[in-house]
Amino acid sequence: MKTLAAAVVVLSLLTGCGGVAKAGPSATATTVKNCGIDVAVDGPPKRVFAAYQPAIEMAHALGISDRLVGTAYLDAEVLPRYAAAQKDRKYYKNLPSREELLSQDPDFVLSGFNDVFSSAGSDSSFGSRKSLSDLGVQTWIFSPLCPTADGKGDEAIDPSTVSMNNVYADLRDLGKLFNVADRAETVIADQQKRIAAVEAKVASAPKPTVAILRPGLEGGGLTVSGGPDFGTVLIRQAGGVNAFADLTSKRNVKISVEEFIKRDPDYILISGCCDATLTETQVQPDVQKILANPAYANLKAVKNKHVVPWLFAHHSAGVRGANSTELIAKLIHPDLVR
Amino acid sequence: MTRSWGGRAAGLLVAGGVLLAVVLLSLVAGNQWFGPHDVYVAAADFTGSDTDRVIRYLRFPRTAVGLLAGAALGLAGAVMQGITRNPLADPGILGVNAGAALAVVVAIGLLGVQSLTGYVWFAMGGALIATVVVYLVGSVGRGGATPVKLALAGAALSALLGSVTSAITLLDLSTLNEFRFWVVGSLTLATGSIVTQALPFIAVGIILALTLGRSLNQLALGEDLAATLGTRIGLVRVLAALSVMLLAGTATAMAGPIAFVGLAVPHVARALVGADYRWILPWSLVLAPIVLLLADVVGRLVARPDELQVGIITALIGAPLFIALVRRRKLAEL
Repeated sequence: MKTLAAAVVVLSLLTGCGGVAKAGPSATATTVKNCGIDVAVDGPPKRVFAAYQPAIEMAHALGISDRLVGTAYLDAEVLPRYAAAQKDRKYYKNLPSREELLSQDPDFVLSGFNDVFSSAGSDSSFGSRKSLSDLGVQTWIFSPLCPTADGKGDEAIDPSTVSMNNVYADLRDLGKLFNVADRAETVIADQQKRIAAVEAKVASAPKPTVAILRPGLEGGGLTVSGGPDFGTVLIRQAGGVNAFADLTSKRNVKISVEEFIKRDPDYILISGCCDATLTETQVQPDVQKILANPAYANLKAVKNKHVVPWLFAHHSAGVRGANSTELIAKLIHPDLVR
Repeated sequence: MTRSWGGRAAGLLVAGGVLLAVVLLSLVAGNQWFGPHDVYVAAADFTGSDTDRVIRYLRFPRTAVGLLAGAALGLAGAVMQGITRNPLADPGILGVNAGAALAVVVAIGLLGVQSLTGYVWFAMGGALIATVVVYLVGSVGRGGATPVKLALAGAALSALLGSVTSAITLLDLSTLNEFRFWVVGSLTLATGSIVTQALPFIAVGIILALTLGRSLNQLALGEDLAATLGTRIGLVRVLAALSVMLLAGTATAMAGPIAFVGLAVPHVARALVGADYRWILPWSLVLAPIVLLLADVVGRLVARPDELQVGIITALIGAPLFIALVRRRKLAEL
């Protein structure tokens, strides 16, 4: 009876949004809820696999670089302050297969995006979170990308969860799991301070519209960041509005070129992606293509040369939040933010 | 429909008129609807307004590609059905599209070719190589290049090339993104310069194909009888292969592998004008762009603010139509 009562108490504790740690049977055992799934560890995980840029950078930010047994799929160069820590880590250019992942014997998989656990996702899916948990591998999806159920992907993101607060909640929860709570608080405080500083400066300024555009072919249409993309949050913090925030079916929304012209955003960020050595400089040719395309010549952003190279890594949820907010603010409010 | 010479010619004129109307529709329909006057202004009295730019730089090339790729695919399908005497023949079955698509993926993924002007040549080369390989493999053994052997060789090569393509895209996921275009065709990528570049190839292919009508009619009687009637079967095959390479390769380079147009349209033409290839070929030439452009217009309208790629629409329209045709007409009739 006592156990049952204790279980009820624990369950009620776990229903909080960001998740709450509890003292388990052993001193270091911790359970935290992530995207509706209990993540339970007996002690700080020692063998962590980080998939995608945001996860890799968050691991470095939390100071657990030496616990990374594998890292995969960088979208761009890691932030300079993590470059040294990343240099010696085992790195996979593409996501490894489930078998390859398990061969690294991880006890924890930290993923910056939800598709690695999505059954409808990529061919290289690691399998559902439950299937990994059954093997003793705990998993984590960044909370701003929580699908509504295990095995689902981007189509099932709740837009209300897309926020910097959920990045902070992740940092706190991971801080508890990895026993690096102080480090997590330091990171959070830094992010909050920098973002608040930007928000204060741009608070009363007019809000230009900003489009984040993926270059490339994609069947001839264009791919832009829609409402559930973290770019929407970053643009808002920087004192602008995502020109495609009303399209909420997915993070990356396909639209026709004609629709893009009709919306005529004030600023266009060309979001280059998916190589461990990528920098903004390499995205410049895609900027030139937009500027040189006669179909786009009437766009405000083109006339004012407000088409700029950008990185996909910049608008992913994670510890780049403050950095990216500052970058966008400098671009769209150059007189207010320097 | 009447099968007299005058009836067929008049019908062809009517079909040409329908094609003109569809071209106009393709210019005015889309995310925003324009009027015929807007089209005139964009063409003759360009002011640089948004409307002018959308029509001139997006819908003109798109419609031109629809016209060229449609005509090319319809004609290529008709030639292939005639030369293989196989009612299911089309650029897909004989491995031409697979060859073109693989060459394009090699160009993007391994050689780093970025511009569309680079793809055109790779696609045509790939189409040519695939056509030759299929022909050589299909010709091995007794009886030469029989229709069934050609179709089998094409299917086998398509499977092989498809595997190689997959292997390349697995090496580099960023290629995979770009490869999507080469899985399902679309009219939206081409620019005016691509159209200009492709035009000579398509034109030569069309002329070549149209001269084959009489030979294809004789081949339809069987190879022995055709040879007796003076048809140089080997030469006809080479000319047919050349025209298919030009037509299907260039169409794939412009618009990706668009399915079912080359398969279904010649059957529609055959249903309308009978088994005479001297009529099937020009009718396919006119009917196919009508089908392709209409499919593209539908794709623009049904999924706004996105668009469905034209290859998806042609498959949706073409597959049931084709099944109906196959059920209605005995396969042995060709």
